[in-house]
Amino acid sequence: MIPQPAAPPVNPYAPYAYVEDIEEEPKSPPFSASVIDYLAKKGYHRTEATLRAESANQEIPKDADLKPTPAGPPRFFEFYSRLRAWTDDVLDTYKAEVKRLLWPIFVYSYLELVKQFYPKEAARLFQKFSEDFKKEHEYDLRGLQFITLPEHGEDKVAKLYRENRYRLSLTHHAFTAFMGFLESLPDAGFKMFLGIVQNNLDLREVDRAADDRFSFAAVIQRSKEDQDMPAEDEGIPGHRPGNAISSTDPNVGNNLANLKLGKLPMEKDLEEDVRGDLMDLDLEVPPKAGQESLVQAHERLNIKQEDEDEGPSRAEIPFPPSTARDVAIEVQKVREVRDRLKIDSRTGGVGPGLSVVMYTFHNTHDGINCMDISGDSNLVAAGFYASIIRVWTLDGSALGPEVGGQKQNSRRLIGHSGPVFSVAFAPAAYRADPNAADSHSKWLLSCGGDGTIRLWNLEAFACIVIYRGHVGPVWDVKWGPFGHYFASCGADKTARVWLTDKIRQVRLLAGHDDDVDCVAWHPNSTYVFTASSDKTVRMWSVTNGNAVRMFTGHTAMITSLACSRNGKLLASADETGLILIWDLGPGRLLKKLRGHGKGGIWSLTWSTESTVLVSGGQDCTVRAWDVTGPAKEAAPPTAKPDGTGAAGAAGKSDGTNAGNAAVPTPNISLASGSAGGAPGVGATGGHKKRGKEAGVSNDQISAFLTKHSHVYLTKFTNMNLVLAAGAYLPEQYK
Amino acid sequence: MTLWGQDTVKDVAESVGIVHLNKEVSQALSRDIEYRISQVLQEALKFMKHAKRTILWTQDISQALRVLDVEPLYGYETTRPLKYGEASLGPGQPLFYVEDEEMDFEKLINAPLPKVPREVSFTAHWLAVEGVQPSIPQNPTSNESRNLELLPKGPNANPALAAMTGADTTTTKPQVKHILSKELQLYFEKVCASVLDETQPEYRTAGLASLKDDPGLHQLLPYFVQFVAEKVTHNLKDLFVLTQMMLVIDALTRNSTLNLTPYVASLVPPVLTCLIGRTLGSGIGSLDHYELRDLAASLLGHLCHKYSKYSHNLKPRLARSLLKTFLDPTKPLGSHYGAILGLKAIGGAEVVRQLIIPNLKAFGELLDDDLQDSSVKKAEAEKVVSAILNALGTLVDDEIPMMNGHSEESANELRTKLVDTIGPVIGSRIADASHTTLAKAILEGGLLGLQ
Repeated sequence: MIPQPAAPPVNPYAPYAYVEDIEEEPKSPPFSASVIDYLAKKGYHRTEATLRAESANQEIPKDADLKPTPAGPPRFFEFYSRLRAWTDDVLDTYKAEVKRLLWPIFVYSYLELVKQFYPKEAARLFQKFSEDFKKEHEYDLRGLQFITLPEHGEDKVAKLYRENRYRLSLTHHAFTAFMGFLESLPDAGFKMFLGIVQNNLDLREVDRAADDRFSFAAVIQRSKEDQDMPAEDEGIPGHRPGNAISSTDPNVGNNLANLKLGKLPMEKDLEEDVRGDLMDLDLEVPPKAGQESLVQAHERLNIKQEDEDEGPSRAEIPFPPSTARDVAIEVQKVREVRDRLKIDSRTGGVGPGLSVVMYTFHNTHDGINCMDISGDSNLVAAGFYASIIRVWTLDGSALGPEVGGQKQNSRRLIGHSGPVFSVAFAPAAYRADPNAADSHSKWLLSCGGDGTIRLWNLEAFACIVIYRGHVGPVWDVKWGPFGHYFASCGADKTARVWLTDKIRQVRLLAGHDDDVDCVAWHPNSTYVFTASSDKTVRMWSVTNGNAVRMFTGHTAMITSLACSRNGKLLASADETGLILIWDLGPGRLLKKLRGHGKGGIWSLTWSTESTVLVSGGQDCTVRAWDVTGPAKEAAPPTAKPDGTGAAGAAGKSDGTNAGNAAVPTPNISLASGSAGGAPGVGATGGHKKRGKEAGVSNDQISAFLTKHSHVYLTKFTNMNLVLAAGAYLPEQYK
Repeated sequence: MTLWGQDTVKDVAESVGIVHLNKEVSQALSRDIEYRISQVLQEALKFMKHAKRTILWTQDISQALRVLDVEPLYGYETTRPLKYGEASLGPGQPLFYVEDEEMDFEKLINAPLPKVPREVSFTAHWLAVEGVQPSIPQNPTSNESRNLELLPKGPNANPALAAMTGADTTTTKPQVKHILSKELQLYFEKVCASVLDETQPEYRTAGLASLKDDPGLHQLLPYFVQFVAEKVTHNLKDLFVLTQMMLVIDALTRNSTLNLTPYVASLVPPVLTCLIGRTLGSGIGSLDHYELRDLAASLLGHLCHKYSKYSHNLKPRLARSLLKTFLDPTKPLGSHYGAILGLKAIGGAEVVRQLIIPNLKAFGELLDDDLQDSSVKKAEAEKVVSAILNALGTLVDDEIPMMNGHSEESANELRTKLVDTIGPVIGSRIADASHTTLAKAILEGGLLGLQ
């Protein structure tokens, strides 16, 4: 297996440009370019065509003559219509693939018309054809619609498309068919589209047999169900799956960073203290027959097992020395995890029965922006659009000192000067033993439209620190899994990692092309995930601030992120109601979970075993999803990253998994495997095939509808009870 | 072509003193305006989405303008959605404007303060228990969820998963069925058997005592109500059963741990049946059913007294149906007897005065025929007369303001007046008994009623 080297800007006319070829061949301008150019100018179309056909493997000049004919606007409208008619007419096997070409060509045609200052012609094109893409690209269309003057080229969407190449994979036959069509066009149209293909597209050719995602079964299946979704490796940042870098710059290597997804080892003193406490507890209450002792549970939970992934060392992520509070939290965590309601992966096709407690907020008038429930399940905080934060006790008991002789079960935290967009409780645990150190939640973080992050103390109910740094609104803030660190992200296209005792950020994570909307931590505190309006999810290493993974595939704003507790999977959800599960090791898409209605999934949470995902959103439902899937009960879903990079890892998982002899072509790292776009399709003969009318994935275990309450928060406790919270908004359903 | 009319651009240009605006310039400007507005909107949409809303607020626009470093629009800070009015400029040219009422400052100051908005609060409930959604008021009904597509469909959808979710038909069964324990079922059967045991009176008493005192019977309440109703309808001939059923109702109302309020509406029909039923017991010719009617009347009074404050139309409805029976000459005397007692029981003196006295004269004529009749009919009529006297008796206890100019009247005058007011049958009886207080009460009541 040869690791994937950097692919140079591949000319679409070089379909068999193997890695070796590219490395060996100097990139000199090919001799035939000038000849073809000459023939084209002179109008010798046939000769030109013949030459082209013969030199299909040859390079074509990029700087082809593309100046608009002075007479009238370029005929994009006419030729786009022809292209569309052709895609309708083409053989069914290719249809799904060539249809994917329409969107990028449409966008670039439109932008070209705008650039050349033909607003009317551009509007005509837009009006006539934008309807086709409404479903999938609504958000981009909305941005494009009003770009009508050349000056508007600075717009976000326009810039994104101009500065990047749209990446698309086609099978060989579809590619040839497309080229055949271009050939058949009159000269002007041919040049126009060729210009787009050369300058703006990054077409990749794949061999159908080599990749199960392009096998007949997969293509047919996709044409049935996935037409409205771009493939994982399609999209504007020109992203190569399994790569952390978005650019197609050949100088940037395929540096799929090696991840350390294992547990963060416990500090030695802490470990000893926890073990001692647990031993005492074991003596006090001996485990029941068949139940593991607390010490055993602790070892399983906190000590690295032999078959597990390598974790980071403690030196990489410095923490302050542990305190009695840390010990109490860890001890309680072990107790809860041992005594939890066990949710095993599905047995006999039946998912586990979850219990969900719903906290419904009344009289909010849609003024609540965000919520969080503390780790000891004692407090709930809500951030309001009216700039305040309120904290309640969940059981209604008194909170803080009395006010005017009356006990209060809620507090207001006043300080922000803009809407509060996120609140987060510091890690805490229920205090089961009154003699143990205090492990209640003591700290709350909040961020808001005023660009600040505030740290509140929950004993004094006062703001202790204001962290400034973000320019513009801060959209999200999250505590690291062990406290001390926290991450934030905002409208300035950056995410930042902070330490509570420093007022400046310690890492600035820049790279997204648009607002960074949500942020999440890896359970070992070493990685941070960010999701942006540019529809990408990125994974960053906290130790050095580098991007280590990038995931593309969403078509709308991503509203929620959550990493599984075993640290191997990431779930991301978007506004269209789609949840994607990513395999972190190879950096690939694992599953698509459909079912939620439109309007945003505001919260995702994983069960303690990482087998069940629960989501809640604007469509007033809480849904539970089976992540392990029926097709692979035995094998763990991830291949172990073994240090040789993604190609190796992907290749390895290939052999062990589906069992279809798939060999990835060297020039394209589209290896099949556990992370294939449609798991189990090739192997089980379309297990997931379903009727077009079915909008809900079969992986859904259950869906619970609330009474007109948007679900803002879902949270699995350590004992696998689901807490959900939302606002009752009857006025919107009248 | 553009959404933003070029006329608007021209108007604005003229307002700042540019009279001749090149057409191309105005075109370009209107396009640019459109673009800028969409920019602001996109920014505002971000605020809306992060506030987890689906309705754009004016504050979102303000926030967006702040982010874009533009001075915000003042005067639109409201959480209420703006109201738009529509005016027509000409055919197919609607003009939309923000409705902006003129407020009288004086009025605003003097107006009472608006209500304090309700405090934000939260409630907790089980959305799901072990994968099944309990059917409690906090959760949507199965009807609401049925319209939505919540579950995977199609040939490969897992039926077992569907069953797990609780959206299946299994959960639409009434909740009590699941909760009623074996013990309670057994108890129910035992009690039902015991209260109908004709041979062992102590067994009956024990059953009723248990109903009267035992806590924890609320789950059985609908079953008992059902039981009573069923027994009464099917055993109209069996006075024993009917009496026992009345006693069961009585026992239930006396149990302090039960909340009978929601069941009163279903308890009333059996009681009314026992009160004003056409034929109860062995039928016409026996007088034993009057005892049952007495019992039913007192029970009805008890129900009315205890539950009429929870149900405002309980008393009027009862009074209406009783009066209807009372005024129906085709009904047997037994029904009349019950109706009179019932009227007395539900309303006391006031009802007697308003509903019985004005009708006594006519009713007396009806009675007169029966009083002349054979032995059984006569006995029955006598019963009714005693019931009327009984009802009238309430008037005595009821204090009536003494009228001025009231003087001692002779017994004869009193008699004629009585006969005038309430007819010869009853009137003469009262006069015969020389019950002057009662007579006066009736006469004054009658006068009061006339006033």
